[in-house]
Amino acid sequence: MTQDFKAHPYLANSQGDIDGMLEYLGIKDVEELYSDIPDEIKFKDTLDIPYYKSEYELMEAVKAKLSKNITTREVRSFIGGGVLDIYMPALQDEILRRTEFYSGYTQYQEEVSQGSLQALWEYQSMICEITGMNVANASLYDWATSVGEAALMCARNTKRNKFLYTSAIAPNREAVLKNYVTGAKLVLDILPHDPSTGKMDIANAKELMDETIAGIYIENPNFFGIIEDELQEIIADAHEKGIKVVVGADLNSLALLKAPGDYGADICIGEGQPIGGGPLNFGGPLLGVIAMKYDKRDIRQMPGRIVGITITQKEGERAFCNTLQTREQHIKRERATSNICTNEALVALSCAVHLALLGKEGYKDTAETMYLSAHYVVGELEKIGVKRVFESEYFNTFMLDLKIPKGKKKEFTNFMLERKIFPGLPYSSDGENYDYLVTTSYLLCKADLDDYVKAIGEWRS
Amino acid sequence: MYNQAKYDEPLIFELSKKGRRAHLPPRCDFSRDDITIPENMKRTKLPELPELHEGEVMRHYVRLAQMNYCVDTGMYPLGSCTMKYNPKVNESIVRSEKMLYLHPNQPEETVQGILELMYELQVALGDLAGLPYTTIQTPAGASGEYCGLALIKAYHDDHGEKQRDEIIAPDSSHGTNPASTVMNGMKLIEIKSNEDGRVNMDALKAAVSDKTAGLMLTNPNTLGIFEKDIIEMSNIVREAGGLLYYDGANFNAIVGKIRPGDMGYDVLHFNLHKTFSTPHGGGGPGAASVSCNEILEPYLPVPTIDYDKDKDYYFFNYDRPKSIGKLHGYYGNIAVALRAYAYIAALGFEGLQHTAEQACLTANYAVRKLEKIDGFRLSHGPSIPRKHEGVLEATPALRKYEVSGKDIGKMILNHGMHAPTVYFPLIAHEAWMVEPTENENKDNIDKYVAAVEEEMVKARKDPEYAHHAPYNAAVSRVDIGWSVKNLVVSYKILKEKLEKGEYVP
Repeated sequence: MTQDFKAHPYLANSQGDIDGMLEYLGIKDVEELYSDIPDEIKFKDTLDIPYYKSEYELMEAVKAKLSKNITTREVRSFIGGGVLDIYMPALQDEILRRTEFYSGYTQYQEEVSQGSLQALWEYQSMICEITGMNVANASLYDWATSVGEAALMCARNTKRNKFLYTSAIAPNREAVLKNYVTGAKLVLDILPHDPSTGKMDIANAKELMDETIAGIYIENPNFFGIIEDELQEIIADAHEKGIKVVVGADLNSLALLKAPGDYGADICIGEGQPIGGGPLNFGGPLLGVIAMKYDKRDIRQMPGRIVGITITQKEGERAFCNTLQTREQHIKRERATSNICTNEALVALSCAVHLALLGKEGYKDTAETMYLSAHYVVGELEKIGVKRVFESEYFNTFMLDLKIPKGKKKEFTNFMLERKIFPGLPYSSDGENYDYLVTTSYLLCKADLDDYVKAIGEWRS
Repeated sequence: MYNQAKYDEPLIFELSKKGRRAHLPPRCDFSRDDITIPENMKRTKLPELPELHEGEVMRHYVRLAQMNYCVDTGMYPLGSCTMKYNPKVNESIVRSEKMLYLHPNQPEETVQGILELMYELQVALGDLAGLPYTTIQTPAGASGEYCGLALIKAYHDDHGEKQRDEIIAPDSSHGTNPASTVMNGMKLIEIKSNEDGRVNMDALKAAVSDKTAGLMLTNPNTLGIFEKDIIEMSNIVREAGGLLYYDGANFNAIVGKIRPGDMGYDVLHFNLHKTFSTPHGGGGPGAASVSCNEILEPYLPVPTIDYDKDKDYYFFNYDRPKSIGKLHGYYGNIAVALRAYAYIAALGFEGLQHTAEQACLTANYAVRKLEKIDGFRLSHGPSIPRKHEGVLEATPALRKYEVSGKDIGKMILNHGMHAPTVYFPLIAHEAWMVEPTENENKDNIDKYVAAVEEEMVKARKDPEYAHHAPYNAAVSRVDIGWSVKNLVVSYKILKEKLEKGEYVP
């Protein structure tokens, strides 16, 4: 290193600095710091990994590769399924680029980290307002991992080991749930939906629930987009049997739909990206939302970081800190409530900024636009004889009855792509034919919706 | 003289006034009267989101930002966290429209650009690991650990050895190691470290059995000391039928110098937000990659990102019957991974080697200077060179002057510098875990050491001064205990308490 050192913007020390430090340490070469390592494991070869000599060349090279993508803004995207294209106001990115927020770490030194602590506390508070809960954590990875964590939380709180979940769950969330609970040996079973309505089969569900069940997971609106409007009975029944109720909600829908906390859910989870966490970013980073009703005992089973108000020792001033840290891995190790350490704090902060920008009225406006756009498309599609798979009430997502055979799926994709449309999320219940889960964002205008209806009509003719 | 900004900044809810708008969403082409929600599911009262105008939102967050310390403020030598400079070009790259607006479920042929970049990243990370099969699905280090351990478990289960459910880890390990072990349904066998801070070989030999699933070990370890007997350890574990897991939290010490695969490890995770410079985000998002060898490859999470050379086509491979399944709703923190790609490509192989060397040099320099200060001593194996970090003990300060490691950390904040990681690893007393990284130059380290010296002079004379530090942060010493007793964790709870007449500051 001393011989062929080249200055690089990411390396802070000049040759003079290096020589000075070597001299202080009484060594001649930095290799001496590796002298205790057996020679046979040292890597002596070279690796052919990407390298661009300047920032300009790097930027151009990456941009050239990225240019092969077609974005949701170059077409009209009708894909949802958990994440959704949103508009990020200019101010939001301005805040996200504040290095004080993005280049700091977890608030281990609270006194110099009050800004991000307060921002995260405000995020938690906004999530509580939306979900009808009064405790939220400072984030999990995404909705899918929130389902897993919520299931584990129910098991710890009830000391039971069975967990039931709706069959109207997104396949990716189901996959992660299955993975998360294997270690704790939770037994999973399904609460089936009624194939005619797409809603949960309440009578059947009640039969499946007994006093060995730790918790149940319901999505509302469910994966098919259907509003579950008959949950009171099942929730009351669950609580009678000591079963915890987890509701996974489309957090945009909660501008129009009753909050899960207000109809009896114990835990509410969801994805924070579509309510402003950030752009799609090809599915990550996202924002796992988890909120619950305050309970002295249950809150101690919450995974992840929680910010609380506190006081300063001397002056008794208001301050913020990470609280209940004894639940977490850095203190409790193998007895921690979860292994989560690094979370999605910046996305949570970003989400709070977005919600503060929208305010109460803006949050409602965007949800209404999504609802109305979906209902307009459905009405227009019905006029040309295209129906939904389920005819129940919905928010901004519906399963379009297209029954496209597996062999024709690619052709359909290309047909729609030629018309600058991503038609939705393909979904097959039998592995042979595909229906499409269609979601309307508030970025689509009436002309886009008309084009969609026209394109579907052309495909069918 | 450092002084952090201090505002009596109200809660954003306290700034709210009915009827203000900070942002107008896109127009709606339909009549808002046409909404019909089933009566029993209708929301009757909108959530109490704050109502501000745009300028107020900006001021609120700018003020909060100014009350926040970060890497770009000054030295941030948090041991095991690798608080590197976050290159700004990476922030620009990820804000390309061709990155921001990609739905994870849009047609594969429309995302060839990002898949190509992620594939290249996987190959580069696999090369650096010496373990060729890589996934980037895990959104954080702990998730990477969970994944790697799940692969080990799946391997044993698949080979008719379901009884192998014990993970051995030293008592110096990161807290996530035992937590990830338990989340995988395995048991943790903790073994004591030697006096020199390394794994005790006798303890390891005694711990392995036909129940051993694997050994989980970061190398260099959390004291910054290289486990030189790694090959022997690997043999012991392997002979007992176990596999080896490398916790990549400390990989910055050896990037391009030593490959975990060449040390006998079967699987590892890298923290892209540590070694590969992506921002820590005030707690996240980070990202992890997991690399493994051919025996564990069949169990990697679905989908993997693969490349068909003949068709020059990148694709998601779901056809993996032995896979452990999914660990993230989609493919992981792709925007974070793209930053890591840009970092790697800005340095190249040789540049990465330099980062490791300078990281080790600055750490040794810092630690050797700090240990000379009255109040400190180096923990474990004083003659052994450190790697990218070193652990000091403030035990003499506590015994002689009643000043704790935590106190000294708080005093450092007075200088516009950040404390190291305190009280970790648990095998050191009054631990002060220092990791400057290659982004600190000699001058900054000299200033840091001088600041510690200056504060220690004051503390020796007046321990009370130390106990109440810091003095020029946005707030003075915080009482965490109050927050635990009162649990005011949301605005709703705050309002309830105030209505009941309870005290909340």
